[in-house]
Amino acid sequence: MVGANRVLRGVSITHPTGDPALSVGDELELRRRMVDRALNMLSTPVESRTVWEAEG
Amino acid sequence: MTVVHYINQFFAGMGGEEKADTPPFRLDGATGPGRGLGLEVATTIGCGDDYFAEHEDEALSALLAWLEEARPSVLVCGPAFGSGRYGYACGVVAREAAHRGIPAVTAMHQDNPGVLAADGAPYVIPTGTSVTSMRETLPKMAELAGKLSRAEAVGGPDEEGYLPRHVRRNTIRDEPGASRAIDLLLRKLAGDVRTEAKPPGDFVAPPPPIADPAAATIALVTEAGCVPQGNPDHLPSRRSFTWLRYSLDGVTSLSADRYETVHGGFDTAAANQDPNRLVPLDAARELERDGRIGRLHDFFYTTSGVNTPVAVAAKMGQEIAEELVSSGVQAVILTGT
Repeated sequence: MVGANRVLRGVSITHPTGDPALSVGDELELRRRMVDRALNMLSTPVESRTVWEAEG
Repeated sequence: MTVVHYINQFFAGMGGEEKADTPPFRLDGATGPGRGLGLEVATTIGCGDDYFAEHEDEALSALLAWLEEARPSVLVCGPAFGSGRYGYACGVVAREAAHRGIPAVTAMHQDNPGVLAADGAPYVIPTGTSVTSMRETLPKMAELAGKLSRAEAVGGPDEEGYLPRHVRRNTIRDEPGASRAIDLLLRKLAGDVRTEAKPPGDFVAPPPPIADPAAATIALVTEAGCVPQGNPDHLPSRRSFTWLRYSLDGVTSLSADRYETVHGGFDTAAANQDPNRLVPLDAARELERDGRIGRLHDFFYTTSGVNTPVAVAAKMGQEIAEELVSSGVQAVILTGT
């Protein structure tokens, strides 16, 4: 995403915050972890554009 | 020399916003600012700004048919100053005329989305943001229009006072390449870098982090074209020049029976099975309930990010950000596709 400084890599272009291959429960859990990670990013200082991977 | 001039409903004296839905019109001779050009304007054509924005294909086909009929030696559009819709229409009409071999001049503020819409095909003369710069703009347009009409050579942007068109022209120089390269290097060492192009790009310094998400109000924003089922407010699938805001009051999930995406830039099948795959509301609500998020903002913001000129996208971003800031939002999770 051009110009964004805190970027969390999405699952895919067509479903950035979900994964149709997972069960409904697992997918919600994945999405919850992604939002949780986004919250961590929002409370982390960055010097320049930084890309986080979804997990890890 | 045959001059056709393009204006909008306002400069044609038809009315302001209440007449912005006026379909294409054609008038004999000069009207409004066309009278100040000092050129003999054969025909004035125009269109309401909203009509052009909402029915671009229909408007263009009527306007281009009139242009083909008149076959002018030059088309003059505007000036549009800082007016986004008018500038966009001027840029598009001038571009399409230029593509059809009719030289075209328009004028507007350099940040007007019409500059990008013009795509380097016509000449765009920079103006101030408001109509107060009319007096100094019209003679510049007329001078360039005169040159184009007479098929005279037109110099570079610096020389003639138009915005760079990103056109490269080959010219023959007397000195060999090696000595020109040395000259350029020496000039650069002396601090003169005007021969180098400035790379495009919009760099924003990273904002400082929020202290604690559990004490923050966080908003969900997306360019994924997510809207209520049936797209009640007609968000365009592509080339959106607008954004929308929808209440999340009492909404815990973007369920497929109530929401969908109209984005025209990707396969929407998976997203339409579960729009939370685009805007993660269900998960964010859980985290809000658990105290991890202080509060989710009462609205989510949406647009379709497809083929939108960067200048327009930047303007939409600024508008949304202003609203969020004034609503007390501290952070945004923006999902893109």
